[in-house]
Amino acid sequence: MLTDAELVARALEGRQEAFREIVVRFERPVYSLVARMLQDPAAAEDLAQEVFIKAFRRLDTYDPERKLSSWLFKIAHNATIDYLRRRTPETVPLEASSSSGTRDDDRGSLAAVLADGSAESPATAAERRDMARALEQAIARLRPEYRESVVMFYVEGASYQEICEVTGLPLGTVKTNLHRARKELAQQMTDMGWAPRETRDARVS
Amino acid sequence: MRSADQDLLDRWLAAEQNDRADEADAALAALFTALPPLLPPAGFADRVMLRARLEMETAAVPAALPAMPRRSLFTSLWVRAALTLCLLSIGVSVLWLPQMLRAVAGLLSVGGLVRIWTSSLVTACRWLGSALGLWDFLMTVGRALATPLETPTMALVLVSCLLVSLLAFRSLRGLITRDRSWTYVNS
Repeated sequence: MLTDAELVARALEGRQEAFREIVVRFERPVYSLVARMLQDPAAAEDLAQEVFIKAFRRLDTYDPERKLSSWLFKIAHNATIDYLRRRTPETVPLEASSSSGTRDDDRGSLAAVLADGSAESPATAAERRDMARALEQAIARLRPEYRESVVMFYVEGASYQEICEVTGLPLGTVKTNLHRARKELAQQMTDMGWAPRETRDARVS
Repeated sequence: MRSADQDLLDRWLAAEQNDRADEADAALAALFTALPPLLPPAGFADRVMLRARLEMETAAVPAALPAMPRRSLFTSLWVRAALTLCLLSIGVSVLWLPQMLRAVAGLLSVGGLVRIWTSSLVTACRWLGSALGLWDFLMTVGRALATPLETPTMALVLVSCLLVSLLAFRSLRGLITRDRSWTYVNS
């Protein structure tokens, strides 16, 4: 398998299959980050496409010493902030806000587009989906800077240093953000009824 | 029966409750790995490639366009008429050319040159006089404005104002040119 630097070199030679390979290799992490930041699957797809187009346009500025994922995350970070700055504030219907925080139906939301684990028993699959949705809802309620760090660190496995490069924040701030974000996530999951089994059992008895 | 995901979740939340940060980190990362990932819609890569190709084609259009034939200036009837008129007037004016040449030759005599030089000198002196008058007026205004600033208190106030405005300008520039940050995003 080609390394990221080799792929970029081939893409710079004008080979379309190299471009495509870059997209295939990084579509999931880039989309995952953008979608969780925007909380709008349609807009997220459009913006994620834009991230790759921008990357292609400026591929000659990519430094092979850096990780390609970090470089793409940085473009995604900038594009997301620019998009959210441009976007006009939306009004949220009251019914929508009143159902937040529960395990209600959330069709059309980000949680609804989670991949489905098909090789499981229906009960296990349903539980996984519920848990994933709850976690997505909890992530959605985090502050943007916390959310971005959580997605990069826990979901995409980026290092502290990579997060610093992408967000432009100092190491201490990134660590603090992650710590606070994890605490907030845990609190929200507990509030949504996902407390540890022992705690739930203790409450019942 | 407890699922593996539920176990991971319980491990994470229990570690969080007991302030075991490293364990909580590991459990949460494992939980995200175990849960269904957020995937882009099917055909995402194809759409990106299509968009990239379209953009490349759009960018290549100006270069690929055949050279536009340049429209001749003389095809317009108006241009041709104007050109004819110009040529006619030049032809007619040639009749007066000897007289004009004689007049110019008269100017180039020593007397004519002295006359031109003296009149230019007089005009230049007049202009200089006007400029000096304006300068004098400006100096008077400047002196009138500067008189109160000669006191130390006023000078201090002026310097303070300058410093404050410099600081404000610097802060404003910092705000405008700062790296993209979530601070100003309402997400």
